[in-house]
Amino acid sequence: MKQLPEDLVSIRLTVNGVVRSLDVHPGETLLEVLRGRLRLTGTKRGCEVGECGACTVVLDGRAVNSCLVLAVQADGAEVLTVEGLAREGALHPLQRAFLEHGAVQCGFCTPGMLMSAHALLAQDPSPTPDAVRRAIAGNLCRCTGYQAIVDAVLAAAGEANSS
Amino acid sequence: MTAPRFARPRTLDEALALLAADPEGWTPVHGGTDLLVRMRMGMAAPRGLLDLTGIPGFGDIRVEDGQVVIGAGATHAALAADERVRTHAPALARAAGLIGSPAIRNRGTLGGNLANASPAADTVPPLFVVGAEVALRGPDGVRWVPIEDFASGPGRTVRGATDLVVAVRFPAQGREVRSAFERLGTRKALAISKVSVAVAARVEADGTLREVRVALGAVAPTVIRARETEGVLEGAVWGGEVARAACDAVRREARPITDLRAGEAYRREMCGVLLERAVATIVDGSRS
Repeated sequence: MKQLPEDLVSIRLTVNGVVRSLDVHPGETLLEVLRGRLRLTGTKRGCEVGECGACTVVLDGRAVNSCLVLAVQADGAEVLTVEGLAREGALHPLQRAFLEHGAVQCGFCTPGMLMSAHALLAQDPSPTPDAVRRAIAGNLCRCTGYQAIVDAVLAAAGEANSS
Repeated sequence: MTAPRFARPRTLDEALALLAADPEGWTPVHGGTDLLVRMRMGMAAPRGLLDLTGIPGFGDIRVEDGQVVIGAGATHAALAADERVRTHAPALARAAGLIGSPAIRNRGTLGGNLANASPAADTVPPLFVVGAEVALRGPDGVRWVPIEDFASGPGRTVRGATDLVVAVRFPAQGREVRSAFERLGTRKALAISKVSVAVAARVEADGTLREVRVALGAVAPTVIRARETEGVLEGAVWGGEVARAACDAVRREARPITDLRAGEAYRREMCGVLLERAVATIVDGSRS
């Protein structure tokens, strides 16, 4: 990482498996870079103070609020966003389960929910319903009432474990 | 958001040198879960961001010379999961596991929670009752400050402009001295505590409480010890009259205000309720 003129900082990060090099302002958030620079608008901008979870991405294996991570702090990191879940046109098992269980209504919370669930299943492949609820405790949903989301995450975990 | 300058030092010495050269020019940042919110709300406008996430080992947890030593960069998630913290300071592990949300706990750090100096900071009452000290490192070396002397008011600490919070330590007392933490928020996740209570005590075979410490969060300008309550519990067996007297004492000792999160009377009342829960956890745990 080197400091450029006009206070820009060069960073290099891996987003959904692709190495990206770009020059960012010190105050720019990872959320702003993902949406504004990389045009990865699947990650949603909600409250921007870490209370809604709509901007959740997986940073080096852990769910984080991308609105509270400075892009410069993600230098050298691996970022997974909702765009990185589907493979070769096939939805990720979590995405399929969300659709099958009616866990998507307006959809605004969905990318963040998926990324929190993804981080959970990477650490705990067979979570209890309570563990799922705790994992998505920072993700607000104003449509579903959460039960369909919890069902979907448990179903995706069950499917992964039985296959 | 704007911040004119940014530095991500690779060593603590480098970070301290930058800070020493221009103390007003740098605001330390680690997880950013408090600072970025304040920047977003226009309550903070750092001239430069001194990012501490690039310093290897800054969040390490170790046990040495009978002390648990936690690097300031340890995240709340790390504290909540760490077996040594769970053994020697269960109240701290529990508090860390209740902060914010999983995403917040993956970024927010112990050092940041201390430096931010909120009267409602959940890690602080547990640190009070386990007798923790905070390491401040500046150009002249390290000084250890008792946790009770660290915060001087809401958002204020004794950290000098050229100091960084680098570690926290407390005795590795094993399961001999037990500790518990209880809090109340509007909901379980992402709610700043309206009231919090931490208790530590050794429970003798006959149930007698010894070395009792009680600390209260969010009911005074800083976290406070509840010494009168401790006096009621010291050498006593929990239950009946003792419990009533202790709850009366803790309600007297709390100095809450009414603000947007809770009213003064409610906070005072809840100090008693949370004290009962915390002591019950300690007494029940000693029987298992």
